[in-house]
Amino acid sequence: MTSEGAPAQVPVIAARNLTKTYQLGEQAVHALRDVSFEIQRGEFVAIMGPSGSGKSTLMNLIGALDVPSSGQLCINGTDIATLSRDELAGLRNHTIGFVFQQFNLLARTTALDNVKLPLTYSEPRPADPDALARKCLEQVGLEGRMDHVPSRLSGGQQQRVAIARALVNSPSLILADEPTGALDTATSLEILNLFKSLNAQGMTIIMVTHELDVAAHAKRLLRVRDGKLVEDRPVHGLLEESAT
Amino acid sequence: MSLAEFLKTALIALRRNVLRSVLTTLGIIIGVGSVIVMSAIGNGASKQIEQQIASLGTNQLTIFPGSTNVGGRQGGFGSAPPLTEKDLRAIREGVDGVVAVAGSMNNSATLVVGNANWVTQLQGSTAEIQDVRDWPVKSGRYFDATEATSRRKVLVIGATVARELFGEQDPVGTTVRVNNVPFEIVGVLTAKGQAGGRDQDDVVIAPLPTARSRLMGRVRVPDEVGQILVKVDDSHDLAEVQTDLERVLRERRRIQPNTPDNFAVRNFADILATRSATQRTLGLLLASAAAISLLVGGIGIMNIMLVSVTERTREIGLRMAIGARGGDILGQFLTEAVLLCLAGGLIGLTLGLGIAVVVSALLSWPVYISPGIVLLAILASAAVGVLFGYVPARRASQLNPIEALRYE
Repeated sequence: MTSEGAPAQVPVIAARNLTKTYQLGEQAVHALRDVSFEIQRGEFVAIMGPSGSGKSTLMNLIGALDVPSSGQLCINGTDIATLSRDELAGLRNHTIGFVFQQFNLLARTTALDNVKLPLTYSEPRPADPDALARKCLEQVGLEGRMDHVPSRLSGGQQQRVAIARALVNSPSLILADEPTGALDTATSLEILNLFKSLNAQGMTIIMVTHELDVAAHAKRLLRVRDGKLVEDRPVHGLLEESAT
Repeated sequence: MSLAEFLKTALIALRRNVLRSVLTTLGIIIGVGSVIVMSAIGNGASKQIEQQIASLGTNQLTIFPGSTNVGGRQGGFGSAPPLTEKDLRAIREGVDGVVAVAGSMNNSATLVVGNANWVTQLQGSTAEIQDVRDWPVKSGRYFDATEATSRRKVLVIGATVARELFGEQDPVGTTVRVNNVPFEIVGVLTAKGQAGGRDQDDVVIAPLPTARSRLMGRVRVPDEVGQILVKVDDSHDLAEVQTDLERVLRERRRIQPNTPDNFAVRNFADILATRSATQRTLGLLLASAAAISLLVGGIGIMNIMLVSVTERTREIGLRMAIGARGGDILGQFLTEAVLLCLAGGLIGLTLGLGIAVVVSALLSWPVYISPGIVLLAILASAAVGVLFGYVPARRASQLNPIEALRYE
């Protein structure tokens, strides 16, 4: 565990010389090479890159689903390489709110129960899981749909349930993997606006996407190609530049 | 996760595929159900036999001439000198603790009354038979010692014989032809019921001297008594009386030391011991049948749990991503398997009990369900769940969350 300076200054994500190598038979595949960056509290970062660029690998590392081959990835100052499998699970539970492209809600389970799911794995257990889940569903504008099962909700509503689920444990960051990939344009915009308003309330959001239009809603852009971080810039002015 | 949450999650998962869950547990249901039915019927039968043996009397000794189980040295049953009135007297006078002694020769006999006839077992007995067997008459009386020695042609008949030949009428005083010899019926015995698959009431008893001269085909000595039945006083030890009796008989029959007996003494305690040995074998057989069916059922459970884990790979990945530890996933699937098996066990139990009750009602077979076997059935099904649920549950708990999330 590393700790630098006062807690307020500890970045949510600190990657130093991050490298991930997979062994495919004889051949070593370098999914990530020597990537370094920091993400501070309250940022809204889009990670972009074509398929095979290593952005999924990077996302898995940021989500504490995987550990680096070399280099260091600290989440809230904790080096994930030092954690056991169960400690990683605990870290994911408390620190990271996942939002997936396919929503990944439990079928035949009400919105409320879906949102409560992460709390069943929390230690210590929250005193009133129902109240927490209700509050998060209200936050994403689904106060009238709490008892609906996913099959009775639209795609946008399902993704809102997923976002409420990500919020329920008051995580340090929301990690969204192509959150609008399965949604139409209008609904995508609703979800992106929801992210923006959450970010405005102080939530750190990291969003992986391959669409520039989607990335443009973030504040900062990390571009990955061939396992390397090739661009790190503010989003401001991005669309105008790419149009030219 | 708490146990309540494990149970809730497992119930939701099982309800999602009700038909499959039921089919999966069919092996356990049939296994547990058949064991319950078999043991209920088996235990019922042995309980009944025990009661009947008790009704025959556990304070009785039966002496046969010769014996077949001395191991080849001796000829067949009855090759030894027969038991006689003298043996009978020797026992009555020479053995302590003997309450009553009766001789008994058996033969089959045809009874004819009017145009009704009935083939039954004829027992030629001395008058003391009523004391030895503790078998009172329902109507009429037994013959007495005088009637016996004077070879009167009188007959005491069993309840089955009375019913078959006379229906509801009281047969006392009627004359019946036994193998063409007219006999007067003086008494009807109370019903004793079945014992060891034989109807105890399908019998007629005549005085031994009368039977010997009129009804027995082959009598080797004039005072042959067939078997000797001995009733031992309750305050005496049966084994001691038996030893004493064997000594008296050996003396009377002049058997040299180191020569085996040429008679055999049986008591019902021996028969009970043989029975319980038979029961143990039967129980072992039953247990192995149960073990095999539970094994087959367990493999079915394991198979479906493996399918379930594969089907729900994404769900497992999601649960891991949002913070489920390996133990949580293991517990979840283990709970599901155990619940499945327990449900199967309980359904099988209910079904088995139901069938046992129907069998006892329809066929009037005695059934007995021991609480032990019920408890065992429940525990065994839970154990099968743990045993066969472990491999799939462990596989689920060790999935890589990244690959599981990506699984299509």
